[in-house]
Amino acid sequence: MNDRPRAVLHLDLDAFFAAVEILENPALAGKPVLIGGRPQQRGVVATASYAARAFGCRSAMPMAQALKLCPEAIVLPVRHALYRQYSRRVMALLHALTHLVEQVSIDEAFLELTEQIAAWQEAVEIARRLQQQVQEEIGLSASLGVASNKQVAKVASDFDKPGGLTVVRPGEEAIFLAELPARALWGVGPVTAQRLAGMGVHTVGELANLPEATLRAAFGRHGPDLGRRARGIDESPIVVEHQRKSISQERTFDRDIAELRPLKQQLWRMSQAVAGDLQRRQVAGGVVAIKLRYSDFTTLTRQMTLPVPSDDAIEIYRAGLTLLERAWETGRPVRLLGVGAHQLMEPTRQLSLFDHAAGD
Amino acid sequence: MRVSCLQENLSRGLNIVGRAVSPRSTLPVLGNILLATDEGRLKLAATNLEIGIVCWIGAKVEDDGAVTAPARLLSEFVSQLPAERIDMDLSVRTLMLNLKCARYDTNIKGIDASEFPIIPTSDGAEVIRIEAETLRKMINQVAFAAATDESRPTLTGVNARFNDKRLTLAATDGFRLAVRSTELATAAPEKSEVIIPSRALTELSRIIGLLPKTEGEAQMVEITIASARNQILFHLPDVDMVSQLIDANFPNYEAIIPKSFATRTIIDTQAALRALRVANLFARDSSNIVRFQMTPGHDGAPASLTMTATSAESGDNLANLDVIIEGPEGEIAFNGRYMLDVLNVIDEPQIALETTRASAPGVVRPVGVGPEEFTCVVMPMHISR
Repeated sequence: MNDRPRAVLHLDLDAFFAAVEILENPALAGKPVLIGGRPQQRGVVATASYAARAFGCRSAMPMAQALKLCPEAIVLPVRHALYRQYSRRVMALLHALTHLVEQVSIDEAFLELTEQIAAWQEAVEIARRLQQQVQEEIGLSASLGVASNKQVAKVASDFDKPGGLTVVRPGEEAIFLAELPARALWGVGPVTAQRLAGMGVHTVGELANLPEATLRAAFGRHGPDLGRRARGIDESPIVVEHQRKSISQERTFDRDIAELRPLKQQLWRMSQAVAGDLQRRQVAGGVVAIKLRYSDFTTLTRQMTLPVPSDDAIEIYRAGLTLLERAWETGRPVRLLGVGAHQLMEPTRQLSLFDHAAGD
Repeated sequence: MRVSCLQENLSRGLNIVGRAVSPRSTLPVLGNILLATDEGRLKLAATNLEIGIVCWIGAKVEDDGAVTAPARLLSEFVSQLPAERIDMDLSVRTLMLNLKCARYDTNIKGIDASEFPIIPTSDGAEVIRIEAETLRKMINQVAFAAATDESRPTLTGVNARFNDKRLTLAATDGFRLAVRSTELATAAPEKSEVIIPSRALTELSRIIGLLPKTEGEAQMVEITIASARNQILFHLPDVDMVSQLIDANFPNYEAIIPKSFATRTIIDTQAALRALRVANLFARDSSNIVRFQMTPGHDGAPASLTMTATSAESGDNLANLDVIIEGPEGEIAFNGRYMLDVLNVIDEPQIALETTRASAPGVVRPVGVGPEEFTCVVMPMHISR
């Protein structure tokens, strides 16, 4: 460990699904392409090519609406298996640089470069080469952000899309963020943005200037954290991708269960199995979720974030039971019950004095 | 054996030796307490072979003799008796101990005293003298940090270093380290370092607390290290205690104590204790994690320490304390129980918490006491986000 600034890189593949489709069929290049569900089936846009975006099409927009904006768009179904192949190739390039890769989704990832470099500037060189490599070897355009933490790197990669490389040097985080809309901040969703607007806060800079007490009053215990992130401070570490994203258990009962007691017993058994699996993989779940299917096949899932990631059967069971008691309509026969741990990460643990002394 | 004594003296004596009894030993006699006449007094003794405690109480001895009686039965019985004289009479033939007190007439079946192990008592050679109350406080300030699980036997002990006129006690369970040091009244005869089971020291501390308070001169404890037998002996007024030593090398704890820090936070001890107790109510469902956030004063706002704890089920808690901070802001998470353990043994009105970064050890010291006197190092918890 040392106290020099971190170097974190965020890579985001540009219009990924569309870009892959264009690679597979070069005739599509430059044409408005919409990937997603069919409009007749109330489908939504998963990705829009840049040509389609020019018409105002956006991902998550209902396909019917997107087609109104751009009637000549070519609509293609989502081919997940194909995208995963490309994603894997990109991620392999990242892993060749460092094992500290946190894959956030199929088309974006963080890299911790701090230990790879002697001078901070080297991170920028690495980013430039990586961007070139992704383009030349795989044929995909990526936007990159390099900064001293994840939050700022993520905002930076989004700053100059597509194909941009935005560098925010240590110490310049707050200045970089200040003029951006508050919505640009990772974790500021539409609801938070709206509340901020109500407080007269539109830019990240305005958010950064809010007193901590005001933030706390408006957003509770997450408020001060929001303020820190607006000032460009973020200490969250790279969470290395594990082989699985979640570990869960579910059971379809031979006979529907309509009483709490046997449901609790099943939940406990499955919680133990989930905990055992987590411990074997040396990960902890940040989120506990349950799945409940009634005899009429109505299925619901409920989840809860744990205060601290856990691999403990009792904690998983307790969280699961809280969810179950909230979700279950008492007495309604249950056909299937499941419990799982999600957002897997390194488990919380008490650090040891002796390891510290040895490693220092 | 025919002997009489006062109920309160016998009850107190049984209480002092009682904790050394090993109720589940394979040797039945170790579940018993030895009662023996000794130069006009009644000697009580118990041992679990790791520690042995001997206590002498005033008595009127008519016939010398000795017997052992079941510890639990005898203690519970005597504690119920009225505060009057107890007459004891042993039938040597049947090993039946008859006790008469007020309107009670009781017989308790004993085991032959010759089966009871010999507990060495202090012979007055080569002693180190220390004020009893100081020793009690020192023990309480380190013993909590010793390991309780037997998988690391060395760490279940307290390291005692006698070096000239200084005694230093240290204990660690690998997650926290407590070091307490004091000036001895007289120099130790020779430099020595031993590991004493923390259970033995906790017993010693309890016994010191049970000693009748005397006016004027402070009570002293005389310590003898019997290296050849791998034992340590503590001699107190009317009580002797012997403990086996742990034959091992204690870790080099000095290397663990941070030499520097980034942020120093001065906190009112009582306020911190209250905030921690509250935080622990919420932290106990989530690995006892209490987050500490140190924010230096700025723009006229005072420096603050925020302690937060969150429970998935019950809710969350935040406490904000006015503090004095030297150095930059910082954030660190500790096991709330560990922090509470340290603060509970500090009498000074203020403590200093020295931190460097989220993954480096924190140091707690009472303010106004030299750093050599008391230092506690607490390793933080690693939290994934």
